[in-house]
Amino acid sequence: MWLDEDLAFYKRDLELSKPFVNADGVLGFAPDTRRVPTLAKLGAFITHPISIRPRQPAANRAYLPFNGGFLLHTGLPNPGVNQAIRRFRRSWGAADLPIIVNVLVESPAALAEMVRKLEGLENILGIELGLPPVCDPATLSAIMAAGAGELPLIPCLGAEQVPLLIDTLKDLQPSMVHLVEPRGTLPVQDGEFVSGRLYGPAIFPIMLKAAQDLVAAGLSVIANGGIAYRWQVDALMETGVTAVGLGSVLWGTDPESIFSP
Amino acid sequence: MPALTTHLLELTQLGSEITGVLDLPEKYWPKPGQYLACQRLGDLECIAIPLFRAFGDLGQPCLASIPETWHPGDRLAFFPPMGCGFELPKSARRVGLIPFEVSPARILSLVEPSLDQGAEIVLFCDPGLPADVLSRLPSRVEVLPLSSLAEDSTWPDYVAVDLERSNLVSLTERVDLFNLPGSVEVLLRTPMPCLGIGACGVCAVHTRRGFRFACTDGPVFPLKGLRHVA
Repeated sequence: MWLDEDLAFYKRDLELSKPFVNADGVLGFAPDTRRVPTLAKLGAFITHPISIRPRQPAANRAYLPFNGGFLLHTGLPNPGVNQAIRRFRRSWGAADLPIIVNVLVESPAALAEMVRKLEGLENILGIELGLPPVCDPATLSAIMAAGAGELPLIPCLGAEQVPLLIDTLKDLQPSMVHLVEPRGTLPVQDGEFVSGRLYGPAIFPIMLKAAQDLVAAGLSVIANGGIAYRWQVDALMETGVTAVGLGSVLWGTDPESIFSP
Repeated sequence: MPALTTHLLELTQLGSEITGVLDLPEKYWPKPGQYLACQRLGDLECIAIPLFRAFGDLGQPCLASIPETWHPGDRLAFFPPMGCGFELPKSARRVGLIPFEVSPARILSLVEPSLDQGAEIVLFCDPGLPADVLSRLPSRVEVLPLSSLAEDSTWPDYVAVDLERSNLVSLTERVDLFNLPGSVEVLLRTPMPCLGIGACGVCAVHTRRGFRFACTDGPVFPLKGLRHVA
């Protein structure tokens, strides 16, 4: 038997033909080579986060620059899983690179329903699990169990979540783990604060350390890192990550330099 | 879409904004309201920024807002003009321009095409213009307080507005733009970090056809298409 039926699919190997992916939320819902010629350099395309129901932009959506990076708060607007499948399944199926669908995990039951809807679509390599900001080990285990199906699962965790979840991940041994940008908070006006993901080179040292910890735990890792320079890619690869996730560098005018050793 | 390169020729302070002239072939000049996604070469730690067509000497591609850290001679990478700009009606003969609580540099880019079609132009703004801007305006451009538009809203047959996304409500409370007889277009200032590459959603604008992105569907929108702007 070439397939071990006792092994949950989320534990099976997931291979990328190239050691780069885009960070979720950076290149839209489906690959478009006219807008992004660097797609040919990626081993997989990761979609915007998709939720069980449609989500509208946050009323206090914000882009807040700080030294070395920026905070982005969007509310993760998306058309919901049903409409996303209707709108993008053909683009996903026809893409020149495999698709990893990023799903927003709101509850184990909702995740199970989304996984069932995504199974069977053409050219889907795996499902990324956007974990809730507050996720304890028991919740992670429940999420992984609920998402188990025919597609490999890739839990996404921010650098700040690694210490709490690393032992559970060692036990679960998912196909891959995606280390994503940490969350942060900045003041805006009138005493209000906005929270969101942090992007940019200022986060690189934190991401490198978290990647080292995950690799040392024996996990296969895709690591985002606020990458702006090729040496940062090299440093992450030297730690043993399987692939590097590229974020806002893909919004620049010269992302090619990242791919050239 | 490979990036093109150019360099920054000169800088000018125009009111509170720094405008600059780039060495650009005319086919890459953005229309008023459009923008160039631009990044200083080697500045990999900063994301590309949108540079809008701005008021300048006639016949020169003047752009705003240039970052304070850029200098004449800097080499820049850019993508061809992006977004939807103003659509000045060819029939417009009385053009009202409203820079609402923002620098007039971008809205004044409509002066040249308006003059070209023989239109009268009134700049409605509070407070008055900085002296350096006023001194550079062609004599055919009249400057009046915003209240004068509220008093005689029948004058313009086309109005162009430039404001922060969050300020649309406060402007429409002062002037009933929705009931002006002519068409009204609005350049919405909002962060556009992905510049259309990522559909990141920060620049989402609530229109009567649902949410649209300022970076690709705007940043100029017909006022009557806007539902409200949160």
